[in-house]
Amino acid sequence: MNVSGYIGNFTAEIRRKARYVDPEACTACAECAQVCPVVKPDEYQMGLSSRKAIYIPYPQAVPSSYILNMEDCLGTNPIACGKCAEVCEPDCINYDDRDIIVKRDVGAVIVAIGADVYDPTEMDEYGYTRFDNVITSMEFERLICAGGPTLGHFVRPSDHERPKRIGFIQCVGSRNPSIGRPYCSNICCMNTIKDTLLLADHYPDVECTVFYQDIRAFGKSFEDMFQRSKEAGTRYIRGIPGDIEEDTETGNLTLIAENTTSGKIERHEFDMVILSVGVGPPKDLAKISSLLTLSKTSDGFFMESHPKLKPVDAPTRGVFFSGFCESPKDIKDSVCQAGAAASRAGALLNAGQVHIEAITSVIDADACKKCGVCASVCPYGAITWKKGEVAVVIDAACAGCGNCGAACKFDAITMRHFTDAQYMAQIRAILAEDPQDKVFVFACNWCSYSGADMAGISRMQYPASNRIVRTMCSARVSEDMVLEAFRCGAPVVLVSGCHYADCHYITANRQTVQRVQRLWNKLEKAGVRPERLQLEWISAAEGQKFAKVMAQMEELRKTVTEEEIEYTIEALKPKPRKPKKEKEAAAVAG
Amino acid sequence: MDSDPKGDGLRVGVFVCDCGLNIAGTVDTQAVTDYAATLPDVVCAIRNRYTCADPGQNEIKKAIAEHRLNRVVIASCTPLQHEPTFRTCVAEAGLNRYLMEMANLREQCSWVHPSDMEGATRKAKDLVAGAVARARNLQPHDDLSVPVTKRALVIGGGIAGMEAALELADSGHQVVLVEKEASIGGIMAQLDKTYPTMDCSI
Amino acid sequence: MATMENFKCMLCGHEYQELVEEGEDKERSCPKCRSNSIRHLKKRASQGDSDDKGKKTE
Repeated sequence: MNVSGYIGNFTAEIRRKARYVDPEACTACAECAQVCPVVKPDEYQMGLSSRKAIYIPYPQAVPSSYILNMEDCLGTNPIACGKCAEVCEPDCINYDDRDIIVKRDVGAVIVAIGADVYDPTEMDEYGYTRFDNVITSMEFERLICAGGPTLGHFVRPSDHERPKRIGFIQCVGSRNPSIGRPYCSNICCMNTIKDTLLLADHYPDVECTVFYQDIRAFGKSFEDMFQRSKEAGTRYIRGIPGDIEEDTETGNLTLIAENTTSGKIERHEFDMVILSVGVGPPKDLAKISSLLTLSKTSDGFFMESHPKLKPVDAPTRGVFFSGFCESPKDIKDSVCQAGAAASRAGALLNAGQVHIEAITSVIDADACKKCGVCASVCPYGAITWKKGEVAVVIDAACAGCGNCGAACKFDAITMRHFTDAQYMAQIRAILAEDPQDKVFVFACNWCSYSGADMAGISRMQYPASNRIVRTMCSARVSEDMVLEAFRCGAPVVLVSGCHYADCHYITANRQTVQRVQRLWNKLEKAGVRPERLQLEWISAAEGQKFAKVMAQMEELRKTVTEEEIEYTIEALKPKPRKPKKEKEAAAVAG
Repeated sequence: MDSDPKGDGLRVGVFVCDCGLNIAGTVDTQAVTDYAATLPDVVCAIRNRYTCADPGQNEIKKAIAEHRLNRVVIASCTPLQHEPTFRTCVAEAGLNRYLMEMANLREQCSWVHPSDMEGATRKAKDLVAGAVARARNLQPHDDLSVPVTKRALVIGGGIAGMEAALELADSGHQVVLVEKEASIGGIMAQLDKTYPTMDCSI
Repeated sequence: MATMENFKCMLCGHEYQELVEEGEDKERSCPKCRSNSIRHLKKRASQGDSDDKGKKTE
């Protein structure tokens, strides 16, 4: 899958995967599966039962059609097998089916890629892989379900007996920084409460015990469910077990936990233990993120445009979030957010047209020296250029990063609303008085500037010596802008932008790195300490990093002497050049 | 570009926001306002309690008319929050949207330097000076307007994707729903009963 | 072909070597202080490889 374009005008290339069964013709008669000789674990049933190589994911699946898993299939060659095609009456099985790339133009994109349920294999202390009767809450769902492998007869895996004493462990894969999952998964407390009520309803003699850190039952009618669970006899023990032992004879399990209410170490024996597993960002998140130039927060979920006021808008215009991929949420909240995302997208589609900020790049045909550098650095291919011809900007494709403007050596490119003249005036004004006290910071709009805002929103404190100037992208910061700050007496200059994976302009910030490398060389050549120019990647979520970097920059500033600054101002003065290099000199003087 | 239709030369108005005590609690906003008045081409500098509120916005509009302002600097919060607000505000007073510049005195000043009033005030003055310098170089622009393809792409066919797709389709839009698995339904389809209603998931 | 390259952290001064794949696109940070101010030090051509053992590897 690929998505290109911009708000109102995206083009999606979608891989329609081969099903090998025509979903229109398939009657879901199941004849094919009956003759299929291949037996595989059934993913839908959490591997607790089996399916064939040709199967329907579950009876209510949409489309209501069988599908052939080619990786499981014995062979497309009728000599190898071909049994399913033989028995298929509507003749809808096609071994030669192939993936097809479908292209669709769309105006808005809703990202609803969901979540991955935590796999507790790594948390060996609960013996998930060692003991048969330790299962996850997802496996519980299948075992209690009438459509599940046991037709809803709740039995334990070791001996297929019905367990009487059941222990639940909460926060498995949630609120646990040591495994990189510090956040609350939101749904597991209520899911366990639901499970205990289901068990109490199906089997009144079952005794449930829940080990928890905190019970979070804050939603509408949640507290009522919690109380009903307690009334139904569920015991709630505050304290997460540290160890589990199995009785090899009976398959029973003993949990050892500190009851933090009584302060005592307790041992509890169970017939079965259910790990209430957390939910995390989906595997595909990084891929979708780079397709649509989105970013993620520190816990790995997508970052919204504003955590409070724009909770369904992505930072990329025309893209909206729905569901768990934005943050952990239950079904009701997912439905709410889906409605909100649909409404936001609908408003855009209904408007029929959209305004794009006038911040695109403009090429002065007279000044253009036809070198083509701008076209080569544009991450969007928005500049067309042929050898010996003036470069031309395609307005609608230009995202306004300013990379070309910073790269043009001949001052032939103007970034509308972010011109060189505006930046130079701003730099000079900010450093007009007592420049030696100031750290000059260039921050990109999407990440670093937002990261600075995040530090503010979180009320983090850092030294007041910095002066922040916003650029759309760190790649807008030209060599001359940095040199001008030094010429105006800045002791330290910081260029900051998005992390590589988050760059809002695809790969523009790679040019930032190139430019800073060149500047380090230039400064060193001029006898200026190159360390006074710094580079940092700070995401919109990294308020803490922004504050830390500001403190580091202030420490660095203190090492810069007045003499150094005076020397720098002299050393970086644009010198009159030999006639041959006049053009470049003119560009530097910009 | 016609940034100065009346031939008045540059006339910059600066509006410094207290944001209640959010800014004024740390930054000496009166000192910043007085300083702004001394900057080149600034013809009025006004301090507001809440610039984004209606009375604050009305004051801007009034000053644009009264002082024939052709550049506006608003020293308040982050442009990522209120730039659209103030662009609309100046546009309503007849000024091009792009002739407004902001200085971030809240998220990047008062809120992060609460124990350094003097340093924060110095920083605020510099940020305003920078914004005024930039404003003096601003040019009017017209936004580009592009048509919107009336079709939506929904990535993911779980409960969140299905609901969004249905909602959009119900309001008359074409929707392309993409799901990587063989069936839509997502994780929810694997659940037995769901809280708080205790009914089936499918 | 991967080559061993020299880097210097411009914040803490830490110098280190790292294997660089051809055409790789990687965010760099200092292994000591995590700063992103990583300067790619160019090999000095005149001095050749003699004083930089192990600099070049496959």
